[in-house]
Amino acid sequence: MTESDKERAERVGDPKLQSAYRALGAEEPPRALDEAVLAASRRAAKVHPAPLVAPTGRRSWSVPLAAAAVLALAVGVTVHMQIEQPGIDGLPPAGERDRPEAVARSSPPPAKAEKPAIAAAAPPAAMGETRAKPAPKTEAPSPAREMTAQSAEADQGTRPERELRMAEERAKSSSDRSLAGARDMATEAPAAPAPQAAAPAALAKRADAAGQAAAESPERELERIADLRKQGRHDEADKALAEFRKRHPDIKIPAAMLERVERR
Amino acid sequence: MAAGDEQLMLAYREGDAGAFEELYRRHKGGLFRFVLRSVRERSVAEELYQEIWMRAIEARGRYEVQAKFTTWLYTIAHHRLVDHWRKKGLQVVSLDIESEFPAHPGFEPQGILQAKQGLERFARALELLPPAQREAFLLHHEADMSVAEIARATGSNEEAAKSRLRYATARLKEALGDD
Repeated sequence: MTESDKERAERVGDPKLQSAYRALGAEEPPRALDEAVLAASRRAAKVHPAPLVAPTGRRSWSVPLAAAAVLALAVGVTVHMQIEQPGIDGLPPAGERDRPEAVARSSPPPAKAEKPAIAAAAPPAAMGETRAKPAPKTEAPSPAREMTAQSAEADQGTRPERELRMAEERAKSSSDRSLAGARDMATEAPAAPAPQAAAPAALAKRADAAGQAAAESPERELERIADLRKQGRHDEADKALAEFRKRHPDIKIPAAMLERVERR
Repeated sequence: MAAGDEQLMLAYREGDAGAFEELYRRHKGGLFRFVLRSVRERSVAEELYQEIWMRAIEARGRYEVQAKFTTWLYTIAHHRLVDHWRKKGLQVVSLDIESEFPAHPGFEPQGILQAKQGLERFARALELLPPAQREAFLLHHEADMSVAEIARATGSNEEAAKSRLRYATARLKEALGDD
């Protein structure tokens, strides 16, 4: 006999304690309570108890489906952001970007003296690589800012590429690195080239040559001066060249170009 | 031969409502008195009693025969009572620290023993027992549990259960003038 059995036998064998406890009464739960419990037990018996395994039916597919939907949405948004990212790097936040003043702000000023300097200082090869992507940036600040990612991609594949191709061709004709730098900057420079490229003839008619020059890239400006020289309009060419040097003191004009723009 | 409690509970788990009715009939009195004498207030006891059975019904799917049905049922009851005491700011204290039991307001054993006689004295002594001791005593007398079963139902060890039962018995005997 174990210790606990012995103890229990001792207590069970205590008739006085037993009878005293029994004398306290044999209370029973009220009938209404019995009915309530039994009714609940009968209701529960009709349905299967909570399973120990994973639930089946509606819940088995709804949760994974919801999770997949959330995942797909997250991936979609991420991809969308990555597509948009190159075109909106230098722009203000979306809400601000759509406002006219924001567009104007994001549209670079006509002439930025600092830009060519930076471009000239940077290694051309590296610049060539980095320019390829930001180029559409300068094209973007038109009202077409609201365009979709697809149209942005289309844009990347047209005008900027054309300009880059042209720039490369021009680079071949010149072995000078600083001009290549200036050219690279021209593709990047926010000189509002869109109106110019669209209508160079109209621009040529502008009376204000300085204003026109200010709107041009350094490379184009030099080309224009060379054209003036070629046409024998030396005074205008001199004036334009002086203006160019004044505005771009840190751009070293390559020898080949120098021959074309300087009076002989 | 009547089916055992465990077989009845397994049958109920499989959807036999009649098996539960038999189980309920067997244990309703003992469980009700256990709860009633633990909390003293009848309305509270009725509420707790119903909740205990509801929990047993809800837990039927997880029922496995690992011990006596009464041990399983009174374990549910114990947990529900502990919740109740916690809500009321009370604790089921261990008998291992008997000397640290909070003195019950107005607990004057000698005065009570002198003032009251017989059954009333016994009832009062039962009421005044620390909850853990009273619980051990009630489990032993209402559910016919051994020390090991009491330990299992209350989540304690056998030594603690044995001590609680011994102290409760001693106090009640004292109340009866049988020491």
